[in-house]
Amino acid sequence: MSATEPVIEVEHVSKWFGELVAVSDVSFTVGPGVTALLGPNGAGKSTMLRMLCGLTPPSQGTVKVLGGDPRHDLQLTRRIGLVPQQESLFEGLSAYEFVHLAAVLTEVGDTDAATGAALGLVELDPDDRRAVGTYSKGMRQRVKVAQALVAHPQVVVLDEPLTGLDPRQRLHLITIFQRLGAEGRCVIVSSHVLDEVERFGSRVLVMAQGRLAAEGDYHAIRELMDDRPHRIRIRSDDPRSLAAGLLGGAGVVGVTLEGADATIVDTRDAALLRRSVAVVARDRNVRLNEVTPLDDDLESVFRYLVEGR
Amino acid sequence: MTATSDRPRHRSRAATRFPIYRLVLRSQVTRARLLALLALGAVGIIVGAALGASNPAPALIDGLGLVDGHLAAGTRFVNTFGLSLLVPVTALVFAAASLGDPDEDGTLVYLWLRPVRRSRIVVAAAAASFTVAWPLVVVPLAVAAAATGGGRDLVVGTVASATVGLVAYTGLFCALGLVTKRSLVWGLLYIFIWEGFVATAADSAARLAVRTYARSVLSGIAELPLRGTVVDSPMRWIAPVAVGLVALAFATWRLARRDIA
Repeated sequence: MSATEPVIEVEHVSKWFGELVAVSDVSFTVGPGVTALLGPNGAGKSTMLRMLCGLTPPSQGTVKVLGGDPRHDLQLTRRIGLVPQQESLFEGLSAYEFVHLAAVLTEVGDTDAATGAALGLVELDPDDRRAVGTYSKGMRQRVKVAQALVAHPQVVVLDEPLTGLDPRQRLHLITIFQRLGAEGRCVIVSSHVLDEVERFGSRVLVMAQGRLAAEGDYHAIRELMDDRPHRIRIRSDDPRSLAAGLLGGAGVVGVTLEGADATIVDTRDAALLRRSVAVVARDRNVRLNEVTPLDDDLESVFRYLVEGR
Repeated sequence: MTATSDRPRHRSRAATRFPIYRLVLRSQVTRARLLALLALGAVGIIVGAALGASNPAPALIDGLGLVDGHLAAGTRFVNTFGLSLLVPVTALVFAAASLGDPDEDGTLVYLWLRPVRRSRIVVAAAAASFTVAWPLVVVPLAVAAAATGGGRDLVVGTVASATVGLVAYTGLFCALGLVTKRSLVWGLLYIFIWEGFVATAADSAARLAVRTYARSVLSGIAELPLRGTVVDSPMRWIAPVAVGLVALAFATWRLARRDIA
Protein backbone atom coordinates (compact mmCIF):
# COMPACT_ATOMS: atom_id res chain seq x y z
CA MET A 1 0.00 0.00 0.00
CA SER A 2 1.53 3.28 -1.10
CA ALA A 3 1.46 6.40 1.02
CA THR A 4 -1.13 8.01 -1.24
CA GLU A 5 -3.60 5.14 -1.05
CA PRO A 6 -6.27 5.43 1.61
CA VAL A 7 -5.77 3.23 4.64
CA ILE A 8 -9.47 3.19 5.47
CA GLU A 9 -12.19 3.16 2.83
CA VAL A 10 -15.81 3.50 3.85
CA GLU A 11 -18.33 3.32 1.02
CA HIS A 12 -22.04 3.99 1.45
CA VAL A 13 -22.06 2.38 4.84
CA SER A 14 -25.24 2.16 6.86
CA LYS A 15 -25.82 0.39 10.12
CA TRP A 16 -29.09 -0.20 11.82
CA PHE A 17 -30.11 -2.03 14.93
CA GLY A 18 -33.71 -3.05 14.47
CA GLU A 19 -35.60 0.18 13.90
CA LEU A 20 -32.72 2.38 15.01
CA VAL A 21 -30.51 3.75 12.25
CA ALA A 22 -27.11 4.38 13.83
CA VAL A 23 -25.17 5.21 10.64
CA SER A 24 -26.76 6.27 7.38
CA ASP A 25 -25.05 6.09 3.99
CA VAL A 26 -21.63 7.35 5.09
CA SER A 27 -18.66 7.40 2.73
CA PHE A 28 -15.15 8.64 3.39
CA THR A 29 -11.53 7.67 3.10
CA VAL A 30 -8.78 8.12 5.64
CA GLY A 31 -5.07 8.13 4.94
CA PRO A 32 -2.00 8.20 7.15
CA GLY A 33 -1.93 10.85 9.87
CA VAL A 34 -4.40 11.86 12.53
CA THR A 35 -8.07 12.12 11.64
CA ALA A 36 -10.64 13.23 14.16
CA LEU A 37 -14.17 11.88 14.11
CA LEU A 38 -16.20 14.65 15.69
CA GLY A 39 -19.83 14.51 16.70
CA PRO A 40 -22.21 14.73 19.62
CA ASN A 41 -23.10 11.73 21.72
CA GLY A 42 -25.32 9.38 19.77
CA ALA A 43 -24.06 10.60 16.41
CA GLY A 44 -22.91 7.13 15.37
CA LYS A 45 -19.18 7.64 15.97
CA SER A 46 -18.65 4.56 18.12
CA THR A 47 -20.67 2.40 15.75
CA MET A 48 -18.55 3.65 12.87
CA LEU A 49 -15.32 2.91 14.76
CA ARG A 50 -16.59 -0.55 15.67
CA MET A 51 -17.25 -1.23 12.00
CA LEU A 52 -13.73 -0.06 11.14
CA CYS A 53 -12.41 -2.67 13.57
CA GLY A 54 -14.74 -5.40 12.33
CA LEU A 55 -16.52 -5.67 15.68
CA THR A 56 -19.83 -5.30 13.92
CA PRO A 57 -20.58 -5.64 10.21
CA PRO A 58 -22.21 -2.83 8.24
CA SER A 59 -25.85 -3.47 7.38
CA GLN A 60 -25.12 -1.97 4.00
CA GLY A 61 -22.01 -0.80 2.17
CA THR A 62 -18.38 -1.79 2.52
CA VAL A 63 -15.58 -1.07 4.95
CA LYS A 64 -12.00 -1.75 3.95
CA VAL A 65 -8.98 -1.31 6.17
CA LEU A 66 -5.56 -1.69 4.59
CA GLY A 67 -7.36 -3.20 1.63
CA GLY A 68 -8.95 -5.99 3.65
CA ASP A 69 -12.23 -6.73 5.36
CA PRO A 70 -11.71 -6.14 9.08
CA ARG A 71 -14.71 -8.29 9.93
CA HIS A 72 -13.39 -11.46 8.34
CA ASP A 73 -9.62 -11.06 7.92
CA LEU A 74 -8.23 -12.36 11.19
CA GLN A 75 -4.67 -11.35 10.37
CA LEU A 76 -5.80 -7.77 9.88
CA THR A 77 -6.48 -7.51 13.59
CA ARG A 78 -2.71 -7.68 14.07
CA ARG A 79 -2.46 -4.29 12.34
CA ILE A 80 -5.31 -2.57 14.16
CA GLY A 81 -5.09 -1.19 17.68
CA LEU A 82 -8.32 -0.15 19.37
CA VAL A 83 -9.01 1.89 22.45
CA PRO A 84 -12.67 1.09 23.05
CA GLN A 85 -15.00 3.47 24.78
CA GLN A 86 -16.14 1.12 27.53
CA GLU A 87 -14.22 1.29 30.75
CA SER A 88 -14.11 -2.40 31.64
CA LEU A 89 -10.72 -4.07 31.79
CA PHE A 90 -9.71 -7.48 33.10
CA GLU A 91 -9.98 -6.11 36.61
CA GLY A 92 -7.83 -8.68 38.39
CA LEU A 93 -4.78 -8.20 36.17
CA SER A 94 -2.03 -5.68 36.73
CA ALA A 95 -1.38 -3.13 33.99
CA TYR A 96 1.69 -5.12 33.01
CA GLU A 97 -0.27 -8.37 32.76
CA PHE A 98 -3.05 -6.69 30.80
CA VAL A 99 -0.77 -5.15 28.21
CA HIS A 100 1.44 -8.24 28.13
CA LEU A 101 -1.60 -10.35 27.32
CA ALA A 102 -2.24 -8.12 24.31
CA ALA A 103 1.39 -8.49 23.26
CA VAL A 104 1.27 -12.27 23.57
CA LEU A 105 -1.99 -12.62 21.66
CA THR A 106 -0.69 -10.38 18.90
CA GLU A 107 2.51 -12.43 18.82
CA VAL A 108 4.83 -9.51 19.31
CA GLY A 109 8.47 -10.62 19.15
CA ASP A 110 9.79 -9.60 22.56
CA THR A 111 6.62 -9.36 24.59
CA ASP A 112 8.33 -8.12 27.74
CA ALA A 113 10.19 -5.32 26.02
CA ALA A 114 7.11 -4.32 24.04
CA THR A 115 4.97 -4.29 27.18
CA GLY A 116 7.46 -2.20 29.11
CA ALA A 117 7.78 0.23 26.21
CA ALA A 118 4.02 0.60 25.76
CA LEU A 119 3.47 1.24 29.46
CA GLY A 120 6.36 3.65 29.54
CA LEU A 121 4.88 5.51 26.61
CA VAL A 122 1.75 6.28 28.60
CA GLU A 123 3.76 6.95 31.75
CA LEU A 124 2.66 3.88 33.71
CA ASP A 125 5.02 1.85 35.86
CA PRO A 126 5.56 -1.71 34.52
CA ASP A 127 6.46 -2.81 38.05
CA ASP A 128 3.19 -1.65 39.56
CA ARG A 129 1.61 -4.86 40.82
CA ARG A 130 -1.76 -3.37 41.70
CA ALA A 131 -4.75 -4.72 39.82
CA VAL A 132 -6.14 -2.36 37.21
CA GLY A 133 -9.44 -2.63 39.08
CA THR A 134 -7.92 -0.29 41.67
CA TYR A 135 -6.80 2.28 39.08
CA SER A 136 -8.27 5.74 38.59
CA LYS A 137 -10.21 6.46 35.42
CA GLY A 138 -7.27 8.26 33.88
CA MET A 139 -4.87 5.39 34.60
CA ARG A 140 -7.32 2.87 33.17
CA GLN A 141 -7.59 4.99 30.06
CA ARG A 142 -3.82 4.94 29.68
CA VAL A 143 -3.74 1.16 30.12
CA LYS A 144 -6.21 0.92 27.25
CA VAL A 145 -3.99 3.09 25.10
CA ALA A 146 -0.92 1.00 25.99
CA GLN A 147 -2.61 -2.29 25.03
CA ALA A 148 -3.69 -0.74 21.72
CA LEU A 149 -0.17 0.39 20.87
CA VAL A 150 1.84 -2.55 22.18
CA ALA A 151 1.98 -4.32 18.81
CA HIS A 152 2.79 -1.16 16.83
CA PRO A 153 -0.38 -1.32 14.73
CA GLN A 154 -0.54 0.51 11.44
CA VAL A 155 -4.10 1.64 12.17
CA VAL A 156 -4.92 3.08 15.59
CA VAL A 157 -8.58 3.57 16.43
CA LEU A 158 -9.32 5.58 19.56
CA ASP A 159 -12.86 6.01 20.82
CA GLU A 160 -12.94 9.06 23.10
CA PRO A 161 -9.44 8.28 24.44
CA LEU A 162 -9.05 11.47 26.46
CA THR A 163 -12.07 10.87 28.69
CA GLY A 164 -11.15 11.02 32.35
CA LEU A 165 -7.65 12.36 31.84
CA ASP A 166 -6.31 15.45 33.52
CA PRO A 167 -5.03 18.28 31.30
CA ARG A 168 -1.39 17.18 31.52
CA GLN A 169 -2.23 13.61 30.60
CA ARG A 170 -4.44 14.84 27.76
CA LEU A 171 -1.61 16.88 26.36
CA HIS A 172 0.74 13.92 26.69
CA LEU A 173 -1.56 11.55 24.84
CA ILE A 174 -2.34 14.12 22.15
CA THR A 175 1.40 14.43 21.60
CA ILE A 176 1.65 10.64 21.28
CA PHE A 177 -1.21 10.53 18.77
CA GLN A 178 0.39 13.33 16.74
CA ARG A 179 3.70 11.50 16.77
CA LEU A 180 2.05 8.29 15.56
CA GLY A 181 0.42 10.25 12.76
CA ALA A 182 3.71 11.87 11.84
CA GLU A 183 5.27 8.39 11.66
CA GLY A 184 2.80 7.59 8.89
CA ARG A 185 0.37 5.56 10.88
CA CYS A 186 -3.33 6.02 10.41
CA VAL A 187 -4.78 7.36 13.64
CA ILE A 188 -8.52 7.95 13.90
CA VAL A 189 -9.75 9.58 17.10
CA SER A 190 -13.35 10.19 18.05
CA SER A 191 -14.39 13.10 20.21
CA HIS A 192 -17.43 15.18 21.00
CA VAL A 193 -15.34 18.13 22.14
CA LEU A 194 -14.56 20.67 19.45
CA ASP A 195 -11.61 22.26 21.19
CA GLU A 196 -10.06 18.86 21.77
CA VAL A 197 -10.13 18.21 18.05
CA GLU A 198 -8.32 21.47 17.39
CA ARG A 199 -5.40 20.20 19.42
CA PHE A 200 -5.11 17.11 17.26
CA GLY A 201 -4.32 19.57 14.45
CA SER A 202 -5.91 17.17 12.08
CA ARG A 203 -8.36 16.43 9.38
CA VAL A 204 -11.86 16.29 10.77
CA LEU A 205 -14.87 14.15 9.90
CA VAL A 206 -18.05 15.49 11.44
CA MET A 207 -20.83 13.01 12.14
CA ALA A 208 -24.27 13.97 13.28
CA GLN A 209 -27.44 11.92 13.45
CA GLY A 210 -25.69 8.99 11.81
CA ARG A 211 -24.61 10.96 8.78
CA LEU A 212 -21.37 12.54 7.66
CA ALA A 213 -22.17 16.22 8.10
CA ALA A 214 -18.87 17.73 7.03
CA GLU A 215 -15.24 16.91 6.42
CA GLY A 216 -12.09 18.92 5.99
CA ASP A 217 -9.32 20.36 8.07
CA TYR A 218 -10.10 21.78 11.47
CA HIS A 219 -10.09 25.42 10.38
CA ALA A 220 -12.50 24.80 7.50
CA ILE A 221 -14.87 23.02 9.85
CA ARG A 222 -14.51 25.76 12.43
CA GLU A 223 -15.32 28.43 9.83
CA LEU A 224 -18.29 26.43 8.67
CA MET A 225 -19.52 26.24 12.22
CA ASP A 226 -18.96 29.94 12.84
CA ASP A 227 -20.64 30.95 9.61
CA ARG A 228 -24.12 30.27 10.87
CA PRO A 229 -26.73 32.32 12.70
CA HIS A 230 -25.92 32.69 16.38
CA ARG A 231 -28.33 33.49 19.17
CA ILE A 232 -27.02 35.50 22.09
CA ARG A 233 -28.76 36.63 25.26
CA ILE A 234 -27.72 39.97 26.71
CA ARG A 235 -28.86 40.95 30.18
CA SER A 236 -28.79 44.67 30.94
CA ASP A 237 -30.59 47.37 32.91
CA ASP A 238 -32.27 48.71 29.74
CA PRO A 239 -32.96 45.94 27.21
CA ARG A 240 -35.26 48.06 25.04
CA SER A 241 -32.66 50.73 24.44
CA LEU A 242 -30.00 48.12 23.76
CA ALA A 243 -32.29 46.32 21.28
CA ALA A 244 -32.95 49.54 19.43
CA GLY A 245 -29.24 50.29 19.23
CA LEU A 246 -28.32 46.84 17.94
CA LEU A 247 -31.06 46.47 15.35
CA GLY A 248 -29.76 46.89 11.84
CA GLY A 249 -26.09 46.64 12.70
CA ALA A 250 -23.39 44.04 13.44
CA GLY A 251 -24.96 41.35 11.23
CA VAL A 252 -28.00 41.33 13.45
CA VAL A 253 -30.95 39.59 11.83
CA GLY A 254 -33.42 39.69 14.69
CA VAL A 255 -33.95 41.06 18.18
CA THR A 256 -36.54 40.03 20.77
CA LEU A 257 -37.05 40.95 24.40
CA GLU A 258 -37.22 38.35 27.13
CA GLY A 259 -38.48 39.21 30.57
CA ALA A 260 -37.52 42.47 32.22
CA ASP A 261 -33.80 42.50 31.58
CA ALA A 262 -32.90 40.29 28.61
CA THR A 263 -32.42 40.96 24.91
CA ILE A 264 -32.19 37.97 22.59
CA VAL A 265 -30.17 38.78 19.48
CA ASP A 266 -29.83 36.65 16.33
CA THR A 267 -26.71 37.48 14.36
CA ARG A 268 -24.64 36.08 11.54
CA ASP A 269 -21.41 37.40 13.05
CA ALA A 270 -21.07 36.64 16.73
CA ALA A 271 -17.62 38.18 17.08
CA LEU A 272 -18.72 41.47 15.51
CA LEU A 273 -21.81 41.54 17.72
CA ARG A 274 -19.72 41.08 20.85
CA ARG A 275 -17.60 44.06 19.88
CA SER A 276 -20.53 46.28 18.93
CA VAL A 277 -22.57 45.45 22.05
CA ALA A 278 -20.03 47.23 24.19
CA VAL A 279 -20.06 50.30 21.93
CA VAL A 280 -23.87 50.48 21.79
CA ALA A 281 -24.13 50.05 25.55
CA ARG A 282 -21.63 52.85 26.15
CA ASP A 283 -23.30 55.20 23.65
CA ARG A 284 -26.74 54.58 25.16
CA ASN A 285 -25.52 54.51 28.73
CA VAL A 286 -26.78 50.96 29.28
CA ARG A 287 -25.25 48.79 31.97
CA LEU A 288 -24.42 45.28 30.68
CA ASN A 289 -24.83 42.42 33.16
CA GLU A 290 -24.33 39.28 31.10
CA VAL A 291 -23.66 38.18 27.51
CA THR A 292 -24.40 34.48 26.93
CA PRO A 293 -24.37 32.48 23.70
CA LEU A 294 -27.50 30.31 23.65
CA ASP A 295 -26.54 27.92 20.86
CA ASP A 296 -22.81 27.46 21.19
CA ASP A 297 -23.16 23.88 22.33
CA LEU A 298 -22.09 21.20 19.90
CA GLU A 299 -25.59 19.83 19.55
CA SER A 300 -26.80 23.05 17.94
CA VAL A 301 -23.69 23.32 15.79
CA PHE A 302 -24.19 19.82 14.47
CA ARG A 303 -27.89 20.39 14.03
CA TYR A 304 -27.09 23.37 11.89
CA LEU A 305 -24.62 21.41 9.80
CA VAL A 306 -27.06 18.57 9.22
CA GLU A 307 -30.35 20.37 8.95
CA GLY A 308 -29.32 23.91 8.10
CA ARG A 309 -31.17 25.38 11.04
CA MET B 1 10.59 4.40 26.77
CA THR B 2 11.01 2.47 29.97
CA ALA B 3 13.10 -0.64 30.25
CA THR B 4 11.40 -3.61 31.84
CA SER B 5 12.74 -4.89 35.11
CA ASP B 6 13.70 -8.50 35.74
CA ARG B 7 10.66 -9.14 37.88
CA PRO B 8 7.93 -8.71 35.29
CA ARG B 9 10.14 -10.29 32.64
CA HIS B 10 10.41 -13.41 34.78
CA ARG B 11 6.77 -13.28 35.79
CA SER B 12 5.51 -13.06 32.24
CA ARG B 13 7.27 -16.15 30.92
CA ALA B 14 4.55 -18.44 32.21
CA ALA B 15 1.87 -16.08 30.95
CA THR B 16 2.87 -16.64 27.34
CA ARG B 17 1.59 -20.21 27.52
CA PHE B 18 -2.18 -20.67 27.22
CA PRO B 19 -2.83 -16.98 27.95
CA ILE B 20 -6.60 -17.07 27.38
CA TYR B 21 -7.00 -20.24 29.45
CA ARG B 22 -5.08 -18.64 32.29
CA LEU B 23 -7.01 -15.40 32.01
CA VAL B 24 -10.42 -17.12 32.15
CA LEU B 25 -9.22 -19.36 34.95
CA ARG B 26 -8.28 -16.34 37.03
CA SER B 27 -11.51 -14.55 36.41
CA GLN B 28 -13.58 -17.65 37.17
CA VAL B 29 -12.26 -18.25 40.63
CA THR B 30 -14.07 -15.78 42.83
CA ARG B 31 -14.46 -16.20 46.54
CA ALA B 32 -18.26 -16.09 46.41
CA ARG B 33 -18.51 -18.79 43.78
CA LEU B 34 -15.99 -21.01 45.51
CA LEU B 35 -17.63 -20.71 48.91
CA ALA B 36 -21.12 -21.38 47.56
CA LEU B 37 -20.08 -24.45 45.60
CA LEU B 38 -17.79 -25.77 48.32
CA ALA B 39 -20.70 -25.47 50.72
CA LEU B 40 -22.90 -27.42 48.31
CA GLY B 41 -20.23 -30.11 48.02
CA ALA B 42 -19.88 -30.23 51.81
CA VAL B 43 -23.61 -30.84 52.12
CA GLY B 44 -23.19 -33.81 49.79
CA ILE B 45 -20.39 -35.24 51.92
CA ILE B 46 -22.41 -34.82 55.12
CA VAL B 47 -25.45 -36.54 53.61
CA GLY B 48 -23.24 -39.31 52.20
CA ALA B 49 -21.69 -39.85 55.62
CA ALA B 50 -25.13 -39.93 57.20
CA LEU B 51 -26.22 -42.58 54.70
CA GLY B 52 -23.09 -44.59 55.44
CA ALA B 53 -23.69 -44.39 59.17
CA SER B 54 -27.25 -45.60 58.81
CA ASN B 55 -28.18 -49.22 58.34
CA PRO B 56 -30.37 -49.37 55.23
CA ALA B 57 -32.17 -52.58 54.46
CA PRO B 58 -31.13 -54.47 51.30
CA ALA B 59 -33.06 -53.21 48.26
CA LEU B 60 -35.05 -55.52 46.00
CA ILE B 61 -34.12 -54.68 42.40
CA ASP B 62 -35.85 -56.20 39.37
CA GLY B 63 -33.60 -58.76 37.77
CA LEU B 64 -30.96 -58.50 40.49
CA GLY B 65 -32.83 -59.57 43.55
CA LEU B 66 -31.63 -58.19 46.85
CA VAL B 67 -28.89 -55.57 46.56
CA ASP B 68 -26.72 -54.15 49.31
CA GLY B 69 -28.62 -51.30 50.94
CA HIS B 70 -25.60 -48.98 51.06
CA LEU B 71 -24.97 -49.41 47.34
CA ALA B 72 -28.61 -48.77 46.46
CA ALA B 73 -28.94 -45.73 48.71
CA GLY B 74 -25.55 -44.36 47.66
CA THR B 75 -26.25 -44.74 43.96
CA ARG B 76 -29.63 -43.06 44.28
CA PHE B 77 -28.05 -40.24 46.27
CA VAL B 78 -25.28 -39.62 43.72
CA ASN B 79 -27.88 -39.65 40.98
CA THR B 80 -30.27 -37.30 42.74
CA PHE B 81 -27.87 -34.88 44.35
CA GLY B 82 -24.75 -35.15 42.22
CA LEU B 83 -25.90 -35.71 38.66
CA SER B 84 -29.14 -33.76 38.95
CA LEU B 85 -27.92 -30.78 40.95
CA LEU B 86 -24.23 -30.36 41.75
CA VAL B 87 -22.82 -31.26 38.33
CA PRO B 88 -25.13 -29.15 36.12
CA VAL B 89 -25.33 -26.16 38.45
CA THR B 90 -21.56 -25.98 38.93
CA ALA B 91 -21.00 -26.29 35.18
CA LEU B 92 -23.58 -23.57 34.59
CA VAL B 93 -22.01 -21.15 37.05
CA PHE B 94 -18.55 -21.39 35.50
CA ALA B 95 -19.13 -22.21 31.84
CA ALA B 96 -21.86 -19.65 31.23
CA ALA B 97 -19.66 -16.98 32.81
CA SER B 98 -16.50 -17.96 30.94
CA LEU B 99 -17.45 -16.05 27.80
CA GLY B 100 -20.72 -14.56 29.00
CA ASP B 101 -19.10 -12.29 31.58
CA PRO B 102 -16.49 -10.76 29.23
CA ASP B 103 -19.18 -10.41 26.62
CA GLU B 104 -21.41 -8.56 29.00
CA ASP B 105 -18.79 -6.24 30.50
CA GLY B 106 -17.19 -5.48 27.15
CA THR B 107 -13.78 -7.03 27.80
CA LEU B 108 -14.32 -9.68 25.13
CA VAL B 109 -13.12 -7.09 22.64
CA TYR B 110 -9.60 -7.42 24.03
CA LEU B 111 -9.56 -11.08 22.99
CA TRP B 112 -11.63 -10.79 19.85
CA LEU B 113 -9.56 -8.04 18.24
CA ARG B 114 -6.43 -10.17 18.18
CA PRO B 115 -5.19 -12.58 15.54
CA VAL B 116 -6.48 -15.52 17.54
CA ARG B 117 -8.71 -18.22 16.07
CA ARG B 118 -12.19 -18.01 17.58
CA SER B 119 -12.09 -21.73 18.32
CA ARG B 120 -9.00 -21.13 20.45
CA ILE B 121 -10.86 -18.58 22.56
CA VAL B 122 -13.84 -20.89 23.02
CA VAL B 123 -11.83 -23.99 23.81
CA ALA B 124 -9.65 -22.09 26.28
CA ALA B 125 -12.73 -20.72 28.05
CA ALA B 126 -14.36 -24.14 28.22
CA ALA B 127 -11.16 -25.79 29.40
CA ALA B 128 -10.78 -23.20 32.16
CA SER B 129 -14.36 -23.76 33.28
CA PHE B 130 -13.85 -27.52 33.32
CA THR B 131 -10.61 -27.11 35.26
CA VAL B 132 -12.34 -25.16 38.01
CA ALA B 133 -15.56 -27.14 38.07
CA TRP B 134 -14.11 -30.66 38.01
CA PRO B 135 -12.51 -30.69 41.47
CA LEU B 136 -15.44 -28.79 42.95
CA VAL B 137 -17.81 -31.45 41.65
CA VAL B 138 -15.96 -34.72 41.47
CA VAL B 139 -13.97 -34.58 44.71
CA PRO B 140 -16.92 -34.00 47.06
CA LEU B 141 -19.10 -36.43 45.13
CA ALA B 142 -16.45 -39.13 45.21
CA VAL B 143 -15.94 -38.58 48.93
CA ALA B 144 -19.69 -38.63 49.48
CA ALA B 145 -20.02 -41.83 47.44
CA ALA B 146 -17.26 -43.47 49.44
CA ALA B 147 -18.86 -42.28 52.69
CA THR B 148 -22.14 -43.99 51.82
CA GLY B 149 -20.33 -47.32 51.99
CA GLY B 150 -21.55 -48.27 48.51
CA GLY B 151 -18.17 -49.67 47.53
CA ARG B 152 -15.47 -49.10 44.95
CA ASP B 153 -17.72 -49.40 41.89
CA LEU B 154 -19.98 -46.67 43.17
CA VAL B 155 -17.00 -44.34 43.63
CA VAL B 156 -15.65 -45.12 40.17
CA GLY B 157 -19.13 -44.73 38.67
CA THR B 158 -19.55 -41.42 40.44
CA VAL B 159 -16.26 -40.04 39.12
CA ALA B 160 -16.94 -41.26 35.58
CA SER B 161 -20.56 -40.12 35.37
CA ALA B 162 -19.85 -36.71 36.90
CA THR B 163 -16.94 -36.20 34.50
CA VAL B 164 -18.97 -37.23 31.47
CA GLY B 165 -21.85 -34.99 32.52
CA LEU B 166 -19.50 -32.10 33.17
CA VAL B 167 -18.03 -32.34 29.67
CA ALA B 168 -21.45 -32.03 28.06
CA TYR B 169 -22.74 -29.32 30.38
CA THR B 170 -19.56 -27.27 30.03
CA GLY B 171 -19.91 -27.17 26.25
CA LEU B 172 -23.62 -26.43 26.39
CA PHE B 173 -23.42 -23.66 28.94
CA CYS B 174 -20.31 -22.13 27.40
CA ALA B 175 -22.33 -21.68 24.21
CA LEU B 176 -25.33 -20.48 26.19
CA GLY B 177 -23.22 -17.68 27.65
CA LEU B 178 -22.70 -16.32 24.14
CA VAL B 179 -26.32 -16.69 23.12
CA THR B 180 -28.11 -14.84 25.90
CA LYS B 181 -27.35 -12.36 28.63
CA ARG B 182 -29.68 -14.34 30.89
CA SER B 183 -27.70 -17.53 30.61
CA LEU B 184 -28.06 -18.35 34.31
CA VAL B 185 -31.84 -18.19 34.14
CA TRP B 186 -32.08 -20.20 30.92
CA GLY B 187 -29.55 -22.70 32.25
CA LEU B 188 -31.51 -23.24 35.44
CA LEU B 189 -34.73 -23.61 33.45
CA TYR B 190 -33.03 -26.26 31.33
CA ILE B 191 -31.69 -28.10 34.37
CA PHE B 192 -34.81 -28.08 36.48
CA ILE B 193 -37.69 -27.84 34.00
CA TRP B 194 -36.41 -29.77 31.02
CA GLU B 195 -34.09 -32.29 32.60
CA GLY B 196 -35.86 -32.53 35.92
CA PHE B 197 -39.41 -32.61 34.65
CA VAL B 198 -40.07 -32.84 30.90
CA ALA B 199 -37.30 -35.35 30.18
CA THR B 200 -38.66 -37.75 32.77
CA ALA B 201 -41.96 -38.10 30.93
CA ALA B 202 -40.79 -40.37 28.10
CA ASP B 203 -37.71 -42.27 26.98
CA SER B 204 -37.46 -40.22 23.78
CA ALA B 205 -37.42 -36.97 25.76
CA ALA B 206 -34.95 -38.46 28.22
CA ARG B 207 -32.48 -38.96 25.39
CA LEU B 208 -32.44 -35.16 24.99
CA ALA B 209 -31.16 -34.70 28.55
CA VAL B 210 -27.48 -34.86 29.50
CA ARG B 211 -28.46 -36.25 32.86
CA THR B 212 -29.77 -39.43 31.23
CA TYR B 213 -26.37 -40.27 29.79
CA ALA B 214 -24.51 -39.48 33.00
CA ARG B 215 -27.01 -41.53 34.97
CA SER B 216 -26.57 -44.42 32.53
CA VAL B 217 -22.81 -44.31 33.06
CA LEU B 218 -23.29 -44.40 36.83
CA SER B 219 -25.81 -47.21 36.59
CA GLY B 220 -23.60 -49.23 34.27
CA ILE B 221 -20.49 -49.04 36.44
CA ALA B 222 -22.26 -49.43 39.77
CA GLU B 223 -24.27 -52.28 38.21
CA LEU B 224 -27.45 -50.99 39.68
CA PRO B 225 -30.45 -50.05 37.49
CA LEU B 226 -31.77 -46.53 37.99
CA ARG B 227 -35.02 -45.13 36.70
CA GLY B 228 -34.43 -43.38 33.38
CA THR B 229 -31.22 -45.20 32.42
CA VAL B 230 -32.27 -45.79 28.85
CA VAL B 231 -28.93 -45.44 27.09
CA ASP B 232 -26.63 -48.39 26.49
CA SER B 233 -22.87 -48.41 26.18
CA PRO B 234 -21.06 -47.08 24.17
CA MET B 235 -23.60 -44.36 23.35
CA ARG B 236 -23.81 -43.33 27.00
CA TRP B 237 -20.12 -42.41 26.75
CA ILE B 238 -20.03 -41.02 23.22
CA ALA B 239 -23.15 -38.84 23.26
CA PRO B 240 -22.20 -36.46 26.11
CA VAL B 241 -18.75 -35.88 24.66
CA ALA B 242 -20.26 -35.30 21.23
CA VAL B 243 -22.80 -32.87 22.71
CA GLY B 244 -19.99 -30.95 24.39
CA LEU B 245 -17.95 -30.75 21.19
CA VAL B 246 -20.89 -29.74 19.00
CA ALA B 247 -21.83 -27.06 21.52
CA LEU B 248 -18.27 -25.70 21.44
CA ALA B 249 -18.34 -25.70 17.63
CA PHE B 250 -21.57 -23.72 17.77
CA ALA B 251 -20.03 -21.31 20.29
CA THR B 252 -17.09 -20.77 17.91
CA TRP B 253 -19.45 -20.08 15.03
CA ARG B 254 -21.45 -17.72 17.19
CA LEU B 255 -18.37 -15.86 18.43
CA ALA B 256 -17.13 -15.31 14.88
CA ARG B 257 -20.43 -13.88 13.68
CA ARG B 258 -21.86 -11.91 16.53
CA ASP B 259 -21.47 -8.22 17.31
CA ILE B 260 -18.78 -7.45 19.84
CA ALA B 261 -19.54 -4.62 22.23
